[in-house]
Amino acid sequence: MRAILSILRKEFLQLRRDPKLFPVIFISPILQLLLLGYAANLDVKNIPSVVCDMDRSAASRGLIDEYLNSGYFSVAARVERMDEVDRYLDNGRAAMAFIIPRGFGDDVAAGRRASIMLIADGSESQSATIGVNYGAMIAARHNQKIILERFERARGLGLKPVLVKAEVRVWYNPELRSRNFMVPGVLGLILMIMTTVLASIGIVREREAGTMEQLIVTPIRPYQLIVGKLLPFAIIGLIDAIFVIAVARGWFGVPVRGSVPLLFALCLAFMLNTLGVGLFVSTISRTQQQAMLTSLFFIMPQIMLSGFVFPIENMPKFFQAVTTIVPLRYFFIIIRGIMLKGAGWRHLWPQAAALMVLGTLILTLSVARFQKKLD
Amino acid sequence: MPDHSITVKSLTKRFGGFTAVDAVSFDVRRGAIFGFLGANGAGKSTTIRMLCGLLDPTSGTATVGGFDVGREPEKVKRVIGYMSQKFSLYEDLTVLENIRFFGGVYGLAAKAIQARLPWILELAGLEGRERSLTRTLSVGWKQRLALGCAVLHEPEIVFLDEPTGGVDPASRRRFWELINELSERQVTVFVTTHYLDEAEYCNDIRLIHAGRIVAGGSPRQLKEEVIRNPILEVATDRAVEALEILRKEPWVLETSIFGTALHVGVADEGEGRRLIRERLAANGIAPDRIDRIVPSLEDVFIHKIEEQL
Amino acid sequence: MLHAFIGPVMRKEVRQIRRDTRSLVFMILIPAFLLVVFGFALNFDVKHVPLAIVDLEGSRLSRELAEKFRTTEYFEVKATLDRTGDIDDLMAREKIKAALVIPATFSEDLLAGRSPSVQFLLDGANAMSGTTAAGYAASILQSYSQRTTLEALERRGAGGMTLPLATEVRVWYNPELKSARFLLPGLMAFILMVILTTSTAFSIVREKERGTMEQLAVSPLPAAALIVGKLVPYVVISLASAHLVLGLGWVLFGVGIKGNYFLLLLGMVLFLVAGLGQGILISAITRTQQVAFLLSVLTTILPTFILSGFVFPIRNMPTVIQLVTYFVPARYFLVVLRSIILKGAGLPAFWGQMLLLAGFAGSTLALSVALLRTGDGRERRRAGRDA
Repeated sequence: MRAILSILRKEFLQLRRDPKLFPVIFISPILQLLLLGYAANLDVKNIPSVVCDMDRSAASRGLIDEYLNSGYFSVAARVERMDEVDRYLDNGRAAMAFIIPRGFGDDVAAGRRASIMLIADGSESQSATIGVNYGAMIAARHNQKIILERFERARGLGLKPVLVKAEVRVWYNPELRSRNFMVPGVLGLILMIMTTVLASIGIVREREAGTMEQLIVTPIRPYQLIVGKLLPFAIIGLIDAIFVIAVARGWFGVPVRGSVPLLFALCLAFMLNTLGVGLFVSTISRTQQQAMLTSLFFIMPQIMLSGFVFPIENMPKFFQAVTTIVPLRYFFIIIRGIMLKGAGWRHLWPQAAALMVLGTLILTLSVARFQKKLD
Repeated sequence: MPDHSITVKSLTKRFGGFTAVDAVSFDVRRGAIFGFLGANGAGKSTTIRMLCGLLDPTSGTATVGGFDVGREPEKVKRVIGYMSQKFSLYEDLTVLENIRFFGGVYGLAAKAIQARLPWILELAGLEGRERSLTRTLSVGWKQRLALGCAVLHEPEIVFLDEPTGGVDPASRRRFWELINELSERQVTVFVTTHYLDEAEYCNDIRLIHAGRIVAGGSPRQLKEEVIRNPILEVATDRAVEALEILRKEPWVLETSIFGTALHVGVADEGEGRRLIRERLAANGIAPDRIDRIVPSLEDVFIHKIEEQL
Repeated sequence: MLHAFIGPVMRKEVRQIRRDTRSLVFMILIPAFLLVVFGFALNFDVKHVPLAIVDLEGSRLSRELAEKFRTTEYFEVKATLDRTGDIDDLMAREKIKAALVIPATFSEDLLAGRSPSVQFLLDGANAMSGTTAAGYAASILQSYSQRTTLEALERRGAGGMTLPLATEVRVWYNPELKSARFLLPGLMAFILMVILTTSTAFSIVREKERGTMEQLAVSPLPAAALIVGKLVPYVVISLASAHLVLGLGWVLFGVGIKGNYFLLLLGMVLFLVAGLGQGILISAITRTQQVAFLLSVLTTILPTFILSGFVFPIRNMPTVIQLVTYFVPARYFLVVLRSIILKGAGLPAFWGQMLLLAGFAGSTLALSVALLRTGDGRERRRAGRDA
C-alpha cells in the first residue's frame, strides 16, 4: 500500500512539474468540446440547388415551389439553360439541380407524360442521398396531386387525396442539435485517447529514462507498480470527464438525465479497458515513438468502428462481430443513454458487463506480460 | 549468518548468439568490498544485473543474501541496494522527493524515512540542497544521491555499477570513503569499475574480459602472483615510436603506454635494460630513464589480457 | 550554404529511422491497413435501421403497412409492440433507433378518406442518419399512399391510370451513390493526417529530451537546415505510404484517378508537408515527448474527423466554425482529392485550395524555424553559463 501511494505521489509531483502537460490534459478536452460542439450537422436541410425552369409555366412553378417549400432545398441559382448547371455542380456551389424541360406544363395539361430531371452531386453522397430521396418523394406527391386533379376534372367527383402522413418526432434531441450528438462523442473519444496514450507513453518513458530499472530492482510487486502508474491516469480521465460534462451542461445545456454516479462508475469501467490497452502497448514498445504509433494502431479502429458516426448495423457481418470487442462501442451507448435518455442500470447492464469483461481480460493479459525484468 | 554474501557458480548469459557472461564463478565474503574490473562491454553490468534479479541467467546459479537469483529474484531484491551505471533517479523530482519516494517503495514508514534522512543527506553531502531539483545537481552529487537512495533501507548487500563514471577526482575519493564506511558496517559492497586505480581500494578483485574471469584475488595477491617477470618503466618523449619498435621484439613479454612512459615486461631485468637501450638507440631514441617498478593493477590487467589474445 | 548542412542532418535522421524498424513499418503500413479495414467496414448508407413497429390497431390495412417496412432493406424490424410504453426502454438500450406507430384509427381514417397520420419516432441521440431514415419512412408511406389512391380510383372505375410525372434522376461522379467512393478520399485524408503529424511530433523534442539538442544549438547548424533535414526523409516515406493507400483504393475499391495524376502528386506533397510540418511545429514548442504526442493526436484526430468535410459538410457549419476549418489542412486536401479522383476536374476547380495548403505548410515550417532559433539562442546562452 505504501508503495502504491509513493508512486502515486511521485506521478502527481511529476505531472505538476511539466508546465505544458497540465493544460494539454485538462484544457484541451474543453477546447475540443467548445470547438466541435457546434460542428456536426445532423439535420440536412437547405441543400443548395440550381433551378433550371425552361418551361416557365404555372405548372412548373408550382412544382418548383413544392420543392422549395419542403425546407430541404434552397436556391443557389436560377439558370436559363441546362449547360449552365454544370458550373455550379462542378465547383460545389450547388449539390442538386432541378431541370424542368420546355413543354412541361403543356404535357401535364394534355394528360401526357411529363418528365423532369434531378441531378445530384454524388461526391457528397449524404446530401445526394437525401436530396434524391426527397426529390423523388416530392415528385411522387406531386404525381398524386395531378392524378387526383385529373380524376376530379374527368369525373367531376371530388376525391380527397389520401395521404398517409409521416409525423416525425425526434426523441431526446428534438431539434437534432449538433451538441447533443457531439458531447457524448467528444467525451468518449477524449477519454479513450487521453488515457490510452498517457498509459502507454507513461510507462515507456520511464523505461527510456532508465528510472524503470531503479524501480524494478526494488522489492515492489508488479501489481503495485502497475496500479501506482495507472491510477493517476484514471483520476485524470475522471477529472476530464467532469470537465467535459460540466461544460456540456453549463455552456451547451446538454442535459444529464440519468444518474451521474452511475456515469462515472461506468467511466471507470471503460478506463479499465483503455488503461489495459495502454499497458499492453507499453509491454511491446521499446521507445516512446513506438508506443505512440502502436497506440494509434489500437485507437484509430476503435474510433471508426464504435458506431459513433458510422452505424454498426450497416457494416458487413464480419466487422459487426469485430465491434463486439471494441470497448468504445459500449461506452457510447452508455453515455448517450445516461446523458440524453435517462437510462439506468437496468437498461445498460449488458454494456457495463461487456466493459468489465473486456477490461479484465486485457488487463490480465497485459499484467501477465509485464515483467520485473530488463529483457 | 552465512560467511559468503554472494556465491556464483558458472553464471552465463547469452543474448542470441552473443555470450556476454561466460561461466563466471566467485564468492564474496560478507562485509567485503568486492571489485569487478573490466573494460566497457566486458560483461560487468550484465553480471550485476543478473545478481540483482534484473536479468535471467541463461545457465549457472548464484545466490545473493542466501536467495537464489534465478528462482527467488524478488527475495533477493529485498536485501540488496542497487546503483545503476546510468543515472536512474527522477530528474524532475527534488532530492527530498526522490529519497521519500524510494523509501516508500522499499516499504519504509514516513517516520523511518525521516529518521534516516539526516544520515543520507550527510552521506551524500546534500545537506541544504534537499529542495533542489535533481536535474540541477552536478554529476558527482547525483551519484551520491543515487548511492543514498540505494542504501536507504539498510540492505546487507549493495551493488554499484560504475558509480564514479564521469565524476571529478575529489568526489571520487569521497565516494570511496563512503564505500569504506559501508563496509565497516558489515555491508557487502559489490562494485564494478573500469578505473583500475580504484581497484586498489577493494578487498577482493576479479578481472573480467570478454565475459570471462581472467584473474582474481586481493590487489596485493594479483600484483605479486600474476606478474612474476619484472616490469621496466621507460621514460622517453618518443614513447609512441618506442612502443612500435619494442612491440615487435620477441624478448618483450608485453608493453604498453602508461601516461608518457612505456611499461615493458621482460624475462630478466639486466638483459632487458640492455636490450631496450640497444634497440631504441638503433632508432635514435635515448630514454631518459629505465626503472624497475612495482606492477600496478593496470599492468596486471594488461598482462592478463595479452595472455588471452 | 544552407544545403551543405541539410545533408548530414538528413543522413542522421535516415540512419535513426532505419534502426527503428517497427516505427518505419508502422508509418508505411498503418495507413494502408486502416484504409483497407475502414474501406470495407464503413459506408454512409442508411440501411437496416433497427426499427420497432407499434401497431395499435392490428387491422389488415395496418398490417399491410407494417409489411412494407418489414420487407424493405432500409429498416430491420427488431420488435413488434402493441403498446407505445416499451419504446423508450428499447431506445435506451439502443435495441432500436426508430419506431413506427400506427394509430388505432388507421383503417377508419383511411377508408373514410381522412389522412391518417403515422408517427415515426427517431432516436435523436444517435441520429447521424436520422434525416435519411425519416426520408425513407416518408417515401415508404408516400408510395403506400400512392398505391392506396390508385386502388381507390380503380374501385371508382378510373383504372389504368399511369403516373403522369416521370422523374429522371442522374447522380454525377458517383452514379450508384456508392458511399465508398465518397468515403475513400475523406478516409485517406484523415488517416494520413493523423499518422503524418504523429510521425514527426517526436523528431525535435526527442533531441531535447536526450540532451543532444544542446549539442546542436552550439553548432553552426542553422535552424532551417535542421528542420528541412528532418522533414525530407519523412516526406519520402509518407509519399510511399500515400501511394500505397491510393493503390489499394484503386485495386480494392475501384476508386481510380479520373483527373491529372501530377496535379494530385503536387497536392499530395503539399499536404504531406503540411501534416509533417504540423508535427514538427508541435515538436518545436514542447519539451517532452509525452506532451508532443498528446498534442499531435489531440490536434489531428477529432479536428480532422469532424472539421475537414469528411463526414459533415463544411457549408452547413456555423460561420465561426467554418473559419476554424481553415486551420485543418485535410480540408484543403479533401477538395483537391475529390476534385481529381471523383470529378476529374482540372486546376481551376481547386487552385485556391492548393495555394492555401501551400500557405499552411509554409507557415508551420517558418514558425518552427523561428521558434527553434529563439530556443537555440536560449540553449547557447545556457551552455555559455554552464561552461
